[in-house]
Amino acid sequence: MNWAWFHKLGSPKWFYSWSKAWALPVFCFGCLCLVIGLVWGLAFAPADYQQGNSFRIIYIHVPVAMLAQSCYLAMGIAGVVFLVWQMKMSPIFIKAMAPVGAIMALIALVSGAIWGKPTWGTWWVWDARLTSVLVLFLLYMGIIALQNTIDDVLLANKAAAVLSVVGLINLPIIKYSVVLLETLHQGPTFTLTKKPEMPAEMWLPLLFSVIGLYCFVAGLVLWRMQSEILLREHRSSWVKQEVTENGL
Amino acid sequence: MTYSSFLKAEFLVLWRRKQDVFNALLFFIIVVVLFPIGVNSSPEFLAPAAAGIIWCATVLAVLMALESTFKEDHRDGSLEQLVVSGLSLPLLIVLKIIAQWLVVMLPLLITMPLLAEMLYLPSSGFWALIGTLLVGSPSLFFIGVIGGALTVSIKQGAMLVMLLILPFYLPVIIFSTLAVKAAQAGLPYSGFLAMLLAMSLLSLVISPFMTAIAVKASVNA
Amino acid sequence: MQSFASLTISDLWIERAERDLCKGLSFSVQSGDVVRILGENGAGKSSLLKVIVGALSPEEGRIAYSGEDVTLDRSILQQDALYIGHSVGVKQRLSVAENIRWYCPDVCTNVLHEALKSLELIDYMDTPVKKLSAGQTRRVALARLWLSQKTLWLLDEPFASLDVKGVELLEERIQQHALAGGMVILTSHQNLLSLASRDVMLLP
Repeated sequence: MNWAWFHKLGSPKWFYSWSKAWALPVFCFGCLCLVIGLVWGLAFAPADYQQGNSFRIIYIHVPVAMLAQSCYLAMGIAGVVFLVWQMKMSPIFIKAMAPVGAIMALIALVSGAIWGKPTWGTWWVWDARLTSVLVLFLLYMGIIALQNTIDDVLLANKAAAVLSVVGLINLPIIKYSVVLLETLHQGPTFTLTKKPEMPAEMWLPLLFSVIGLYCFVAGLVLWRMQSEILLREHRSSWVKQEVTENGL
Repeated sequence: MTYSSFLKAEFLVLWRRKQDVFNALLFFIIVVVLFPIGVNSSPEFLAPAAAGIIWCATVLAVLMALESTFKEDHRDGSLEQLVVSGLSLPLLIVLKIIAQWLVVMLPLLITMPLLAEMLYLPSSGFWALIGTLLVGSPSLFFIGVIGGALTVSIKQGAMLVMLLILPFYLPVIIFSTLAVKAAQAGLPYSGFLAMLLAMSLLSLVISPFMTAIAVKASVNA
Repeated sequence: MQSFASLTISDLWIERAERDLCKGLSFSVQSGDVVRILGENGAGKSSLLKVIVGALSPEEGRIAYSGEDVTLDRSILQQDALYIGHSVGVKQRLSVAENIRWYCPDVCTNVLHEALKSLELIDYMDTPVKKLSAGQTRRVALARLWLSQKTLWLLDEPFASLDVKGVELLEERIQQHALAGGMVILTSHQNLLSLASRDVMLLP
């Protein structure tokens, strides 16, 4: 297998030019899918026979909750990569990812609360999945707080990476422990092995919005990484050349 | 420097800092006292809540103590000497944590019979509580010291350490309170103790290396 | 003490706080050398010492000690090196004697007393270091030069806050060490024409 791409990923210059080509298409594709999924799901999909129209928030809640977890997973992996291989792009990725993940977790919490009110009759339940998303949100906020407090770039990089990795190891344990504390939540919506129990016209828009949101976030993070690269590498000649030739 | 001279100096410094250790103990007791006064002082509320209260207070006291683990060493440059000593930094960190654990946890355990009585914890739950503290608290120290090492160079680090580390303490608190609840209900609780032990061992394996990375990055910040 | 040792640094590049330091620096030190690092404030003198001893990682460059490549794992070098940094690494809450026992646990009492006598610290042996003055604190750290058996000395501004007598003592000790086959790398603004066998200039 050819590992050259892996080494290239470590070079900010190569990554910058690569991401410049990809960010916009990915972002636009994500937006398109997201709009299709949301419009289809919110306006045209059949209402749930138990929950009525209130279930439609699933088209926001589920993608966002999935993203909140995937973002942390990605950050944790980036943290491992940084601690093991000292790859320069990893801390930039973590820094770009953390606020996005935090917002995803926050939206998941809020949309979950809104969904909970009509279904369970209460805004908040101390159920396993709600609690673990809350903890996830706090972990994101911790990483952001740490990055904002530490002035020294090298230390901030290491600190964020260490915290992401420790979080990655701890999240399953946290999740397992809150599951022990009783659960009211319904089972997972998507599983890889089983066919979903909802009819196709209900889960297809969900699939669209999930894919759409992933691409949307990917584009967003690529853009955030680009500006972070420019900021960090502002002394290097290729950045000067880039800015004078193509503008910002 | 050798491992034994390092450990000896650690204990000496902790002995000279006995007021700080005593402060952590007082802080722990005050937090425990807040609950009967602030929430409800009836035995019906306190007996089932006792383990949770004691664990929350323990967690806060431990974090307060850990925040300053490396602060003094960083200021006078002895932390840098540890990094360049040629000895294994993770191992030095483990020794440091063992010293801290003994000095902070032993006084806390000694006050336990008194506090358990004041919170009306039935004797069935008492030994389970002691067991969870003995088996679970090492993981508090090993996880918390990462936060202490990350914030060494920051002036007001205590709040940040709380923010960073408390989420990781949730499983320890949950398993411990579940164990005590099970014991109070007359159910077996050794499974929870095993979980706590597993967490302590896992953090023993991972944390010294993470802390070493953080210390190395911090001495140059 | 090793009879013959050497330290070789090649093509170094250190990055600190968005500045490139010591770019392309190469030099080597042999037994008996006293090397003085010169450079303006912020040229990277302290960083260079930290990199050699392994407290800081260089961006690029190779470091070899006695023929062995220690670029990635500095522990062989560290066992032979005595580093006194800008903050000297003396524990404030421990007494003078306890501090020395912390760093050099194997030193016997007579030798310890001799060294403390010559450094004029004998009266403060059991005084906590935080009650000593800056110059005395530095002497406590410098006592390691008399009491430990390390080959490679890395001293960051060792003459700072020392009085005339202290400076003389230290110069004498450094010369002794070089004659005995040791290596000394130091940064200093002090004029050390008599002392340094070589200068390494850091360009900003």
